Amino acid sequence: MEVKLHDIGEGMAEAGINCFLVKQGDFVKADDPLVEVQTDKMVAEIPSPASGIVKEFRVAPGETVPVGTVLLVLESATKDAVITRSPEAENKASTELETALSPKRESIKQIHPRILASPYTRKLARDLSVNIEEIRGSGPAGRILDEDVYQFIEQSKRNKKTAEPERKIELPAARHSISSISKTIPFRGRRKQIAANLLHSIQTIPHCTHFEEIDVTNLIHFRNELKEAGRQISATAFFIKALSICLKEFPIFNAMLDEKKEEIRLMDEHNIGVAVDTEEGLIVPVIRSIQTKSLPEINSEMKTLTQKALEHSLKVSEIQGGTFTISNVGPLGGSIGATPIIQHPQVALVSFHKTKKMPVVNDRDEIVVRSIMNLSMSFDHRVADGATAVKFTNRFAAFIQNPKLLLLEMI
Amino acid sequence: MVVGEMANQADLVVIGGGPGGYHAAIRAAQLGRQVLLIEKSEMGGVCLNKGCIPSKVLTEAAKRLDDVKKGRQFGIGSGEANIQFDRLLEHQQKTITGLRAGVEALCKANKVQVMKGSAFFLSGSRIGVEEGDKYELFDFKDAVIAAGVRPVHDSAYPESKRILNQLEISFLDEIPEHLAIYGSSPLQLELAMAYRSLGAEVTILLKNREGFPFDSSIAKELARIFKKERIQVLKDCIIQEVAETENGLEITIHGDTGEKVVKATHFFYEEKQKPDTAGLGTSRIGIEHDDDDGFILIDSQCRTSLKGIFAIGDITGGPFFASKAIKQGKTAAEAACGLQSESDLRFMPSVSFTRPPIASAGLTEEEAIALKLDIKTSQFPFAGNGFSAITGKRDGLTKIISERETDVLLGIHIIGEGAHELIFGGVTGLEMGAREEDVLFPSYPHPGFAEALLEAAEGLQGKAVHLKPQKELKTGAFHT
Repeated sequence: MEVKLHDIGEGMAEAGINCFLVKQGDFVKADDPLVEVQTDKMVAEIPSPASGIVKEFRVAPGETVPVGTVLLVLESATKDAVITRSPEAENKASTELETALSPKRESIKQIHPRILASPYTRKLARDLSVNIEEIRGSGPAGRILDEDVYQFIEQSKRNKKTAEPERKIELPAARHSISSISKTIPFRGRRKQIAANLLHSIQTIPHCTHFEEIDVTNLIHFRNELKEAGRQISATAFFIKALSICLKEFPIFNAMLDEKKEEIRLMDEHNIGVAVDTEEGLIVPVIRSIQTKSLPEINSEMKTLTQKALEHSLKVSEIQGGTFTISNVGPLGGSIGATPIIQHPQVALVSFHKTKKMPVVNDRDEIVVRSIMNLSMSFDHRVADGATAVKFTNRFAAFIQNPKLLLLEMI
Repeated sequence: MVVGEMANQADLVVIGGGPGGYHAAIRAAQLGRQVLLIEKSEMGGVCLNKGCIPSKVLTEAAKRLDDVKKGRQFGIGSGEANIQFDRLLEHQQKTITGLRAGVEALCKANKVQVMKGSAFFLSGSRIGVEEGDKYELFDFKDAVIAAGVRPVHDSAYPESKRILNQLEISFLDEIPEHLAIYGSSPLQLELAMAYRSLGAEVTILLKNREGFPFDSSIAKELARIFKKERIQVLKDCIIQEVAETENGLEITIHGDTGEKVVKATHFFYEEKQKPDTAGLGTSRIGIEHDDDDGFILIDSQCRTSLKGIFAIGDITGGPFFASKAIKQGKTAAEAACGLQSESDLRFMPSVSFTRPPIASAGLTEEEAIALKLDIKTSQFPFAGNGFSAITGKRDGLTKIISERETDVLLGIHIIGEGAHELIFGGVTGLEMGAREEDVLFPSYPHPGFAEALLEAAEGLQGKAVHLKPQKELKTGAFHT
């Protein structure tokens, strides 16, 4: 059985091979990690699709290979095979260095399914070092044409360019530029995947967004007090914890709508995704089980994940399984509101905007200077009603305006 | 290795001068390599010296004798046609030596150095060649192993010049009175027919649960032709004993009707063949072999597990076709020269020079069904072909199998005059991924056997002109 590099999310086109986590001849069970790969966003372990014996590696650490490449070959395992193979594999280890290739007996009767391409086109692909099996034929009955081969190469080139933005600097200034287009950005790979996800979400979910002003002056004071006590907790950590407490009271926003099964599933775990802006685009690492975690825990976990996101070393497991998403655009400055798009199939998403000092009329009708932050909340209007959403943000605002209330929620 | 031994420098070495080996050698030479070819016996290998070529001289003789016998219908008078077997054997030898000289001359013209001796790998880059008391060492950059296979000699049959394997059967010094053949390989079937035409009584003993190795329609037509030629076919045979008597053999078989003794003068069986990789030292230097049968494992560029060492032909496993070795030989040489060549043998045709010959490429109907493909099949009898009427070669049929949804051709099977040449059109179509229209569209020479192929393809769409409309055949509307 061939284990291929598949798209592990985010519309990746290729990945670098970091290392193999198994040796030739090893027996592996289904889901055991086989190989660690690095995409431009994260580090992922490719799990074994089935149990078997690692027969051969088709790629080497350090290589960068496109999606669809065979990484290694597994031989389906019986217990006998394990016993007879293992010592042999050990013997092989000595000659492994000079054994450059792992040939196999050619199957000559494999006629269907097969690649539909003329011998000329097949040679073209070989000469251009393209694995013809990765090309999707545009001709009748899926036939691969010469143009498909050329196009495939063009496409992989473009994908490569997006993955290596520093190359843009090396490009000479457009001397022969006729039109006014200064630069063409390929709409492929991750950008395209992000687009597809957003489009799906906006076309499926009737979005409803409302805005709220929250007085964060007390939170700022409280954070300063903590700072003096030697504990630094970011505002976002407070937001996340407060949201989790609100989600306990309004579980409808920590839910998933399954249209096919016609059911809304309320999730026990509060897995909150935190949108991180990286050079290559948005990525959303997920902090799990917020409801069981303390503020310092949330704070440090968030820091680690953000760092990983910036270093592109997130694991697949660290960007999956979110039940609610936040986006803190405050640090970017500027924005006072947004209509964020929900991460399908989640139900809601909250954006936090820049905190500004503003004149506010207090309970005693005095004008005072307070720190005010805007919040935008989008939710799936099929699942929840506007009133519920407003109650939800009101409750959230209460916690932030008076952080001591959080004490009452201690378990 | 003795310290201080002097090794000669070689660029590319080829081990074995059979069809695979000499094609590899000459192709590498064409691409500018200095080639050393090591052959321990005769240039041309089994194909030229023992297999394809000598057997085809026999099948050609049988065909010509039959043509002469049937010449009367064309007004050709030639008296009683007979065969002078010793002169045929002379011609056979002349053909072999003539072709061998041709191969040797080609090697020479391409500056391929041919060396007689047995080769033995000492490492991934050094080989020893032994000939008598001479022993030489060569350091090479690339090597192509084309050493073939040899019979394992593990049969339980007694030693007898009446009991013959595939390397001996084409060299009988007389036409056997009664030849019993155990098996149904292409060679066995074609020689069954050849010796039958030359005057032998022939009995085919099909192995237990084995029929003729073709698409069922071809197998059925072959069975009919065998019957017409009075070649006896016994099914499900298990050989109990082959015993030599005073003037022949007694072959005891266990068949579906119990035990039976077939009296014959000669017995032809195919011996299992294996590569002599131990003698070559390939296992010693770490080249990967098939665990079960010892064949050398290669990729589509004929590379073994050792860098710079290629293997081609029979030594890489069956089917033991010269056509496979030739293709792989060229691929290996080109790959060794840095070209991106590849061997893809899925549409390699298999041919048997029965009378008429059989050729097929791609899936049989049975194989396609086993793959759960939704298929269309169509066959056209040679009896409906104009050129068959002219030549009197009316036996046989063409059959085409295509995938219903895509029209893509899956298999082409021909039994009939010229099948071994006609199949080329089919192979080209299959390689191009042809669909029905690709075969229907071109113009066909008329009159010609190829029209039988065209009409089989037309039959896929129910529009073969020389076939009765199928509906009427089925309902029997004209039989009231």
